[in-house]
Amino acid sequence: MPVVELAGVTKAYGDKVAVRDLSLSIEAGQMFGLLGPNGAGKTSSIRMMMGITVPDSGRIRLFEKTFERRSLERVGYLPEERGLYKKMTVVDQLVFFGQLHGLAAEEAHTRAIAWATRMEIADALHKKTEELSKGMQQKIQFIATLLHDPGLIVMDEPFSGLDPVNAVLVERTLLELKAQGKAILFSTHRMEQVEKLCDSICLIDNGQAVLAGNLRQIKSRYERNHVIVEFEGGSAFLNSGEIAEAKNFSGHAEIKLKSHGDAQKLLREAAAAATIFRFELVEPSLEEIFIQTVGGKADA
Amino acid sequence: MRNILLIARREYLEQIRGRAFRFSTVLVPLLIIAMLGASYFTGRNADRGKHLAIAAGSAALANNMRRQLLDDKDAKFTVDVVAPATAQDRAALQKQVQSKAIDGFLSIESSPSGALTATYASQSAGDFTTTDLLKNALNHALLNERLTARGMKQAETEDLLKEVSIETLQVNKEGKAAKSNGMASFQKAFGMAFLLTMPILLYGLDMARSVIEEKTSRIFEVMLAIARPDDLLAGKLLGVGAVGMTQIAIWVAAAALLTGSALAATLLTGDFALHFSWAEGLLFPVYFLLGFFLYSAFFSGLAATCETAQELQMYMPLAVVPVWLSFGIIPFLFSNPGSVWAVAASLFPPTAPFVMIPRMGFGTVPPWQFAASIGLLILSIWGVIWFSSRLYRVGILMYGKRATLPELLRWLRYS
Repeated sequence: MPVVELAGVTKAYGDKVAVRDLSLSIEAGQMFGLLGPNGAGKTSSIRMMMGITVPDSGRIRLFEKTFERRSLERVGYLPEERGLYKKMTVVDQLVFFGQLHGLAAEEAHTRAIAWATRMEIADALHKKTEELSKGMQQKIQFIATLLHDPGLIVMDEPFSGLDPVNAVLVERTLLELKAQGKAILFSTHRMEQVEKLCDSICLIDNGQAVLAGNLRQIKSRYERNHVIVEFEGGSAFLNSGEIAEAKNFSGHAEIKLKSHGDAQKLLREAAAAATIFRFELVEPSLEEIFIQTVGGKADA
Repeated sequence: MRNILLIARREYLEQIRGRAFRFSTVLVPLLIIAMLGASYFTGRNADRGKHLAIAAGSAALANNMRRQLLDDKDAKFTVDVVAPATAQDRAALQKQVQSKAIDGFLSIESSPSGALTATYASQSAGDFTTTDLLKNALNHALLNERLTARGMKQAETEDLLKEVSIETLQVNKEGKAAKSNGMASFQKAFGMAFLLTMPILLYGLDMARSVIEEKTSRIFEVMLAIARPDDLLAGKLLGVGAVGMTQIAIWVAAAALLTGSALAATLLTGDFALHFSWAEGLLFPVYFLLGFFLYSAFFSGLAATCETAQELQMYMPLAVVPVWLSFGIIPFLFSNPGSVWAVAASLFPPTAPFVMIPRMGFGTVPPWQFAASIGLLILSIWGVIWFSSRLYRVGILMYGKRATLPELLRWLRYS
């Protein structure tokens, strides 16, 4: 049963159509990636799911019911435009957001302490937000999104502003939440994270869904004409007649073969020129699919 | 409703705990007391201890004037008499004014036809109080001299010229007359209008600043996913309004304690004696809250369309025009509190709070006018909140560029 469902949703601002006939659904226990170049309509779609704006046509259902504001108490939303009350202490802020989501003050306080410990910011609980680093503030916002144990978690660029250690912490937390059966939607430009975490994606461009479905199935639709080579020695083989395009990152090459390019022939040429540690015939990366689908307009 | 109260509570606690609240709670009354005190003592001391000279042909006339001026215990003049005065004497006195040896001199000269001319020379062209005192003393002395010349005894002329002061009474609708002091009523009216205006504008601007700050800090995107824009606006209005009420309550309590003190007893007597009716006490907070909600809701909508506090400041002079208009009307209320303009201004919602309260001090206001003015204010608040919340719900999510008028109209249509 879908936790969130959009059916034929359209939203226009004056002459500009921000979202056109968009349909998607996310199940419990599913991690869903909403992708698209800047201005594609991702934030407009999310704002409609959150009841911040109202669709001109189409239908939005949350938790199997037609959208109603009360359902938002079961949703956790981390917007791209982050914001916290600068003069409030972290704990007061978390309790306030928890209460707005329907928690009692004491319960919100208990959960705030537990989450702060889990996200390794317990020391900052009684500090004012303005005294904290951007990364710390990001974690507080992350906790505020999850404090009320939402069934649907919507995160716009959840990893921006985080260092690699904290990005892993957030990633691990999201996977735990997914395992608990939460439906998670996140919008990001970081394709490697989408590939790693998401089960399904929806790629939108000019307000329309141009690619949607299970990530594995989408990737399997593309020919395995990409090769990753890790090597030491000469790189002359990257000029082979079998190659359409190659990127060389000193010892790590990402190669796209010509439409009838022979991977075995390329392997022989590479082995003759260098010592090969890895030679893997792979599907195109999500980034390549993204660029190919939106016609190179993406800024990811 | 729960969200409105939570937002109001957060807003209230943040402001009450802030340094700005503590400073303004203490500093604003101190400033007002300092200003009132300075104006009171400056006024009292303006004519005190002045050194004057009277140059006249008649020594009797000049000495009579001198006696009267010295009788004014408040003024504490030092008066020299030069009589009969020559042209050289008058030139010498002018030099003394120039060198500040004396503050001024009155030259009384008679023409060959017997007509008197009087000229007061001092370094201050606008010294109306001293000129008035001199004029009264001269006319009084002249009358005295002329009556005596016609054979009236000195004691009789003094008796004849004894001044009588007029006591003013204010008659209410029921026909009851109560003592009133025009100057004190005027001061009270201005004071109450000022006391209403300051917090309404200060807290209105505070609301606007807070909307811009939250817009800049991007907190709205989070809040709008939890609470409706109308709830956000209503919560902020309630919270900031409660802060204003708290501050006024502190000031009133402090004033009540102060008026009970011996110092206040000496200050608040005579012309400064102020009397407040129970109706004024009851309606003051009502008009404060209504005025606050009206202006704050309007300022919040306006702030949602702005990107920076500087941008907001550009609109402010226009937004506060009704307030300045109200202050312009107060002197007319004083002479005719029941005129058509006075009634219109106390019913017109943007001016009603600032006009109705002073008007109560000048005369009796019929109850239907209170009811109509409060009713119209409540309707306007509803209208302004509707209008502002539509601007608010779109404006707070618009970043990066100033909204043009066509865009604002589109916001009203699409939100």
